[in-house]
Amino acid sequence: MSFTRVMDALKPRRTVHAHCDVPCGIYDPATAQLAARTVSRMVELIGAIGGTEVEDRNKFARCVAVKEQHAEQVKREVQVIWSDYFKPEHLTQFPELHDLTWKILKAAGKCKQSVDAAAAADLEMQVARFAEIFWTTKNAPVHSMKPSADGAPKNAIAWEVRAA
Amino acid sequence: MRRALRRALGRPLRLGVLALAILGAPWVGRVIRSWPHRVAVEGRSMAPTLGAGDWLLVDPAAYRDHRPAVGDIVVAPDPREPARLLVKRVAVVGADGSVELRGDALDASTDSRAFGPLPSAAVMGRAWARYWPPRRVGLLR
Repeated sequence: MSFTRVMDALKPRRTVHAHCDVPCGIYDPATAQLAARTVSRMVELIGAIGGTEVEDRNKFARCVAVKEQHAEQVKREVQVIWSDYFKPEHLTQFPELHDLTWKILKAAGKCKQSVDAAAAADLEMQVARFAEIFWTTKNAPVHSMKPSADGAPKNAIAWEVRAA
Repeated sequence: MRRALRRALGRPLRLGVLALAILGAPWVGRVIRSWPHRVAVEGRSMAPTLGAGDWLLVDPAAYRDHRPAVGDIVVAPDPREPARLLVKRVAVVGADGSVELRGDALDASTDSRAFGPLPSAAVMGRAWARYWPPRRVGLLR
């Protein structure tokens, strides 16, 4: 008799709920994903500024400020989910979690320091992985943002939802 | 050779079976009674006592002769959605026979604080043992 058959025989047929109407915390990595995408978009916009007119310089300053703010927001949102939401059993399930979080914080820092499309894309990718882990631990469909590298313009946000 | 082996094993084996029959009888009955009523836990409101994915034995005859006691972990239908079974701890037993249920994780539990007391007759059984996962097997307290 195989192990799975033994487990099937042992398995309960009914579920009992240790139920809670309101989740103890409401977390969503979507804000971090949006912020990471915004960083990418700002890098794109900064690169497109051609002149040195006052208008151009104004736009440049604004884009840099927005990039700075949103990179900081990525750090903040990811940190909160990492420290407040994830539990030890999630870490057992995803041993990469600590390292991934650390890499996101580093990547966000790099995006502040530079105007680098590759660094911004890397940040987006890491945050997407973080979101995927988050939704998987919740047994919920994974909400991922369609990467702009796949042809979607960076200012058009398309979410993809796929079953966990 | 075989006879010698049987003679060597026979005594302790027979004694073991006898000891099991005497010591284990009430306990074995309880397991057999509970086995068809085994349940899987979902949700976190009974943390840290119960976790999602725990498999429990529920004794349906636990309250045949007496009422639920404060501190018992029981299974009862959700009064707001009777098809759904809840697992909670008895916090209060009223003089009128009602019971109030609470989750062990007070800040993450919807229980009698939200839906009020239940008649003790609604309680379907007592969750008394966990048999899975292997590292957490044992009696529930």
